[in-house]
Amino acid sequence: MKPRAAGALAWPAVYCAAILCAAALLPAEDLLPRCDVLPDWKQAGAARSYTADTLYDYMDGNSEGYLIYGFDRMRGVTCKSGAVSLVIDISEMKDPESAFGLFASNRDPRVPTEAIGVLGQVTPQRGIFVKGNRFVEISASPASSDHSTEIRAFLKALEGRLDGTTSPPEPVGWFPAQGLDANSIRLIPQSVLGLSLLKRGYLAKYDFGRAFIVKQPSTDSSMQLMGKLRDKFEDVEPAAIGDEGFETTDKYLGHLLFFRKGPYVAGFTNLPEDFDASAAAEVFAARIP
Amino acid sequence: MESSSSRRRFLAAGLAIPAAGLAITTDDKHSQSPSPSPAPAFPKGTTPKLTYRTLGKTGLRPTEVGFGCMVTSDPSVIERAADVGINLFDTARGYQGGNNERMVGAALKAKRNSIILSSKTPAPTKEEALKDLDTSLRELGTDHLDIWYLHAKSKPEQVTDGLMEAQNIAKQQGKIRFAGISTHSGQPELFPAVIATKHFDVILTAYNFTLDPNMNALLKSAQDAGIGIVGMKVMAGGFRQLKQDNPRFDIFHRDGAMLAMLKWVLQNKNVDTTIPSITDLDQLDQNLRAMSEPFTPADEKLLAARLEFLRPLYCRMCGECDGVCAKGLPVADMVRYVSYAEGYGQFAMAREQFLTLPAHLQNVRCYDCQECTVTCPHGVRVVERVSRAQELFA
Repeated sequence: MKPRAAGALAWPAVYCAAILCAAALLPAEDLLPRCDVLPDWKQAGAARSYTADTLYDYMDGNSEGYLIYGFDRMRGVTCKSGAVSLVIDISEMKDPESAFGLFASNRDPRVPTEAIGVLGQVTPQRGIFVKGNRFVEISASPASSDHSTEIRAFLKALEGRLDGTTSPPEPVGWFPAQGLDANSIRLIPQSVLGLSLLKRGYLAKYDFGRAFIVKQPSTDSSMQLMGKLRDKFEDVEPAAIGDEGFETTDKYLGHLLFFRKGPYVAGFTNLPEDFDASAAAEVFAARIP
Repeated sequence: MESSSSRRRFLAAGLAIPAAGLAITTDDKHSQSPSPSPAPAFPKGTTPKLTYRTLGKTGLRPTEVGFGCMVTSDPSVIERAADVGINLFDTARGYQGGNNERMVGAALKAKRNSIILSSKTPAPTKEEALKDLDTSLRELGTDHLDIWYLHAKSKPEQVTDGLMEAQNIAKQQGKIRFAGISTHSGQPELFPAVIATKHFDVILTAYNFTLDPNMNALLKSAQDAGIGIVGMKVMAGGFRQLKQDNPRFDIFHRDGAMLAMLKWVLQNKNVDTTIPSITDLDQLDQNLRAMSEPFTPADEKLLAARLEFLRPLYCRMCGECDGVCAKGLPVADMVRYVSYAEGYGQFAMAREQFLTLPAHLQNVRCYDCQECTVTCPHGVRVVERVSRAQELFA
């Protein structure tokens, strides 16, 4: 047992050394992951390269989940060590917000995130993180084993090689903390709350309902949007939140309160009937600059 | 990438819309039976007209328009679709990193017994597939799937005995009712092989107005064998998701083209149902219209115009030009490089791909040939496009 235990302890040290060696930043145009950032790993097969036009060739219909977030291109390799294979792909999105959106749509909200890039997440067979406008994902096989140690080591090595912001998009920090499931915050690429009027924005789950925020191009257009939303729902009651607001009940969105502050339209939905929506919305509005 | 070759040979091989439409049969498997559930939420105080078809030998009666949940981000859209009577909902183990199944399950929890629920596994082995199934059932919050697909198969050899055994085991255990297979490409080889197994109840296949007209014969052969057909990518493979700055965006969003695409699919009675992606309530309402509105000559004209616009520019990767160029140029690839650069603004990447060609091919110039040996059966202006590639990248 002793040698095995010693071997197991040595792994993190080897990985850490490898990570330090691999800390040089890649040129922005070279996304290709490398297998030799860790010892004993070798590339298997040819590198992969896809654009928005060809991603379908790689992942068939799953590509729609990438394109909807502004996918630009992907480079990938498969790395092998013994019987273990890691499929590593780096997707370049049109901007950091879109990369965060793809990450958030792919993370498991029940699993804790880790401090890799903006955010990362590792499970026994999968690892993902976002940094700048890149979304990195690793899938491991065989599925019968826990590969989280290798996955985490590769993710950290890759993180060191990619440039870009390590901060989440600003609106992520505007959701009030009380009752918030922080792992639930997502960028909805189109039709927030299933309403085509709310084209793109952030959505978060609370223990008492859901909150969203959408940015319009201008204050004028957000005023127009509020008008359309007011017309869409029945029996709206004015609410003095932000610049304007209203409260009502909808069959699917439940008890809701929408408000506008400058170019932002935000609010809560699916609240309990007797919930003090105004109090929660005031806190939310105060956090929006 | 292994499957890309067969995909290229088949996908979108025909640009011409079958002029007189596809053979439309009228039989008792297609009917407008009353909605099994009330439709309280259809806009403007009206009730959507729902139509149903029988899904092959399964006996299931899905609405002609189902709901592909892949890119849906809000459960309220799914809930409303179920409320208005759509009764087929499709997801897959891998969608949105597994989050999609969880959302779909939560949204349909109260309606589970009145809907047809399908999911898919991409697993390559029996053991992994069965493990995927258990995960799917747990995430969806149900004890069974109505249809369980082997996901994204494009070659007969991918349909292994082990995977079919997994479906048989799942049936015996009551975890699935029907065995399905999904395919985005390679249908000419795959369909006959799938039919020959006598194992599958349902085929979920990409099918839209840009595909090879010969596809209809394959659909009919499956129908004749009692296999139900579910159409996906009915909006021509995600054109709905195009960014507004994409040159194709306008083409596919004007004048009700998306609705026309769906109606085009539904006019084919060899397709039992469809699962278009739906992200919001407006799309849902539009799709519902496809069940009550016929495919008209105006729709046909609309789609033909779209194809006519694409024809000279976009290679459909049918493979007809493989090996035809007298100088040995990979014509389809070169046309594609130009569309990377000019259609998507990806010049650097396009040139990078061009430079992977052997040097002697990079040095070929179309104007050196007195006459081109390549004629695109789908109207791509080959000499113009390949010359453009040489001009841009060489």
